[in-house]
Amino acid sequence: MNRRVFLMSAVGLSGCGFDRRPRLNVFNWSSYIAPDTVPKFESEFGVRVRYGIYESNEEMLARVMSGNSGWDIVFPTDYIVKPMLVNGLLAPIDHTLLGNLGQIEERFQRPDWDAKLEWSVPYMVTAAGICYNRKLDPAPRAWSDLWDERLKRRITMLDDPFDTMGACLKKLGHSINSSDAGELQAAEAEGLKQKPLLRAYLNAEVRDQLVSGDVLAAHMWNTTAQQAMDASSGIGFVYPEEGYAVYPDCAVILRESKRAELAHRFIDFLLRPDIAAANALAARTTTTNAGARRLLPADFRDNPTLYPGADVVARGEWAKTVEPATQRLRDRLWTELKSA
Amino acid sequence: MRRLRWWFLAPSRTVMLLLFLAPLAIILAYSFESRGAYGGISLPWNIESYLRFGDPLYLAILWRSVWIAAVSTLGCLLLGFPLALYISRAGTRKNLFLSLVILPFWTSFLIRTYAWMFLLRDTGLVNTLLEKFGLIHNPLPLLYNDGAVVLGLVYSYLPFMVLPIYAALERLDVSLLEAAADLGARPWAALRHVTIPLCAPGIWAGAILVFIPCLGAYLTPDLLGGGKSVMVGNLIQNQFTTSRDWPFGSAISLALMAIVMLMLWASAKRSGENLL
Amino acid sequence: MRQRGLVLSIYALGTYAFLHLPLLILAAFSFNQSRFTVWEGFSLRWYQAALHDAQLLEASWNSLIIALVATLFSTVIGTLCAYGLWKRTSRWLAGSLYLSLVTPEIVTGISLLAFYEWIFRYLRVQLGMHTVILAHISFSIAFVVIVVMARLGTMDGHLEEAALDLGANEWQAFRYVTLPLILSAVIAAALLAFTVSFDDYVITSLVAGVDSETLPMVIYAIARRGVNPVLNAISALIVFGFGSLILISERLRAR
Repeated sequence: MNRRVFLMSAVGLSGCGFDRRPRLNVFNWSSYIAPDTVPKFESEFGVRVRYGIYESNEEMLARVMSGNSGWDIVFPTDYIVKPMLVNGLLAPIDHTLLGNLGQIEERFQRPDWDAKLEWSVPYMVTAAGICYNRKLDPAPRAWSDLWDERLKRRITMLDDPFDTMGACLKKLGHSINSSDAGELQAAEAEGLKQKPLLRAYLNAEVRDQLVSGDVLAAHMWNTTAQQAMDASSGIGFVYPEEGYAVYPDCAVILRESKRAELAHRFIDFLLRPDIAAANALAARTTTTNAGARRLLPADFRDNPTLYPGADVVARGEWAKTVEPATQRLRDRLWTELKSA
Repeated sequence: MRRLRWWFLAPSRTVMLLLFLAPLAIILAYSFESRGAYGGISLPWNIESYLRFGDPLYLAILWRSVWIAAVSTLGCLLLGFPLALYISRAGTRKNLFLSLVILPFWTSFLIRTYAWMFLLRDTGLVNTLLEKFGLIHNPLPLLYNDGAVVLGLVYSYLPFMVLPIYAALERLDVSLLEAAADLGARPWAALRHVTIPLCAPGIWAGAILVFIPCLGAYLTPDLLGGGKSVMVGNLIQNQFTTSRDWPFGSAISLALMAIVMLMLWASAKRSGENLL
Repeated sequence: MRQRGLVLSIYALGTYAFLHLPLLILAAFSFNQSRFTVWEGFSLRWYQAALHDAQLLEASWNSLIIALVATLFSTVIGTLCAYGLWKRTSRWLAGSLYLSLVTPEIVTGISLLAFYEWIFRYLRVQLGMHTVILAHISFSIAFVVIVVMARLGTMDGHLEEAALDLGANEWQAFRYVTLPLILSAVIAAALLAFTVSFDDYVITSLVAGVDSETLPMVIYAIARRGVNPVLNAISALIVFGFGSLILISERLRAR
C-alpha cells in the first residue's frame, strides 16, 4: 500500500510544474479564441491559464456535473444555463468586477435565459443553416430543399437532436422550441421521410466532404460553414427562408471554483473590444460584443454568413431550454428517427 | 485444496469491491430513482425506468446490437484462430509475430477507425483505385452503413481474439497431435478433433472478449455508421449526455449486463465448462 | 502437412496485411503535402505541426505514464488473482471480474464518476491522474485474469504438488514452478492490459481531470473536426516508436 501511495504522489508531482503563479482553468469550445488571447492575459495579470477544449455541451456537462472537475470557467450554450443553475453548478456573476459588461450588444443585455445576467455573460453566437456546393442550380434557399430527391445520398444533417428536429419543425412552419406533441411527431415524420436521402448525420466532420465534393448540401453551423468557405470558393451558405435556430454561447463561472475573482478578470478581459474582435476574427464567429463589432475589418463585419442583415436576423429564433415534460418525448422521437 | 496465502486474492478483492462493485451499487440505486428536472438524479424511487423496456423501439435496438456483435465476433474468429495457430507454430519468432499483432493496436482506437474512414470514403483510396481500374463508374457507398461498422469492429478487436487462443494453444501437448497423426488422422481432422476442442477455453475467452465490447460499442457505429443506426451503446451514451436521463441510462446498462450474463451462464451450463 | 503449412501461411499473411495496410497507408499519406487524398508531393509539415503541439506532447506523456503504472499494478494483481482462483474458487470475485468484462465502458465510466463524486464529499480530492489510473487498474484486471487463467486451465496441477512434496512451500511452488510456466501468458496479458489502457477513450474522458488529458482524448477532439493529416503523422510516430521498442526488446531477449 505504501508503494502505491508513493508512486501515486510521484506521478502527481510530476504532473504539476514548479510554477508559483496563480492558476486559472478555462474550458471552452474548440477554435473559439484567438491564439494570443490567453498568453496576453497570462502576461498582463501574471497568472497561468490552463485552456481545455470540448466539442459539445454534453461533453462539457458530463465533466462538470460532478461538481469537482477542477474547471473554473466554462462556456455553455444558452439553453444549458438553466439546467446548470438548477443543478447548483454556477457561481453568481459580480457585475462590479466586470467593467466592460456594457460592451455587450443591446439585445444580449437582457436575454431570455438570464434576464439580469446574474449567472452568465454572453460570448459568441452561432446559428444553423444550409451549406452547399455552388455547382447546385438552383441553389438551396429553404429547409425543404434538403428533402430534394435529386440530391439523394449527397445530403447530410447535423447529428444533434435539437438542430435536426428544429429543422424539421421549421420546415413545417413551427417553432424550434415547440413542446406540442402533435407538432413534434409531425416533425419526426418529416425526418423519417428524409432519412433514405441522407448520406449520414454528421457535424463538423462533413466540412471536408463538402469541400471535396462528396456532399452537395449539408445542414451546418455558420462557423463551420465559414471555415469551409475559407478553404474553398465553391462553397456557399444560406439561412433558410422558413427560419433557423440561433445559439448564443455564454461564459459562466463554476460554483466549485476557488478563484472566482480571477475568473471575473478573465471574463472582463474577454469583453474588451480589441480582445473580443481578435477572438471573433480568429475563430470566424459572430461576437456579441458591440464594441468589438465596430473594430472589425469592413469585409468581415459585413460578412453575410456571420453578420447577416436585419431581415435575416429577424427570421432567427433563439434556442430555449427544453422543459422536462417535453424532453422525454423529444428523446424518444430522436431515438426512433436515428434507429429507423 | 491447498492453503493459499491471503495476499493472492486480497488485492483484487479490494480493487473489485471499491472500484467496481461499489460504483455499480450506486448505478443500481440510480436506476430506481427519477430524472431530475433538468437532468441528474432525484427522488422519488420507482421502477419506471425498467418499465420502459417493453417498448419495441428499444427491443429492436437491442436485437440489432446483438446481430452486429455476433457477426463481428465470427469475423474475428475466422481471422484470429488461424493467425493464433500460425504464431504458435512460429518457433523462435513467436514473440515477434505476437507483437506484430499487437502493434497496430498501440495507435489509438480512434485512429484505427479513422484509417477505415480514410479508405472507405467516396474519395478514399478504395473507391479511387476501383475507379482507376475501370471497375466502377460511381463511387461505392462503402462508408456509413452496418458493413463498415462490422469491419471497424473486427479490425479493432482482433487481438482480443488472438491472444487468449494463442495462450491456450501454447500449452497444447504436441505429442497429442503426433498421436493423432500416427493413428492415421489427416491434418484437417486432427485440427477439428484434437486441437480445437483442447483450446476451447481459449476460443471461448476470445469470443467473450470480442462479443461484449462489440455489443456495447458506440464510437465505431457513431463514426463508421454515420449516426444512422443506434446500437445499445449509443442509446446508453445518449441517456447520459443529450437526454441527461441517468435513471433510464442506468436501467438499460444493468439490463444489458443481466442479459449477457444470462447468455453466458446458459452456454456455460450447456458445455459443462467453467468459463473463468 | 506442408500443403497446410502453406495455406496457413498465406492466410496469416493476408490477416497481417489486413491489420497493417490501413495504418501503413495512413502513414504514407502523412507525408503528403496536401490535406486531401490526392498526392501532392513529399512534405514533413504535418510532423512539424504534431511535434510542436504542446497539448499533444503533454497528452502523450500522460497516456504513457497512466498506461505503465496501470499495467504494472493490474498485471501483478491480476496474475496473483488468476492463480488464486485456479487454486480456490471465490464465487463473488470470479463473478465480479466477469461482470467487469460485461459492463459497457460508458457504464463503468459513469459509475466510477458517480463513485468519485460521492467520495469527494469526504476527501478533499479532485479528478486527476490518480482517478484515471485507478479506473484503468479496475477494468484491466479482468483482462489479465482471463488470459492467465486460459493458460492455467491447460496446465498440469501435479507439477506444483510434486514441488510441495519435495519440500517447497506454496509461495516457492508458485514462484519457481508455476510462474515460469505461465510467464509468456503473463507477458501477453501485460501487453493486452497496456494496449487497453493506452487506448481507452470512453472511461478516461469521463474521469479525467484538468491536468490529465490523454492522447485518445486529444485525438478524438481533432478527429471530430474532420480528416486531419496531423493524425496520420501521430499514428505513424506511435507505430514507429513502439515498433522500434519491440524490436529492441526482442533483440535483448534473444541474447
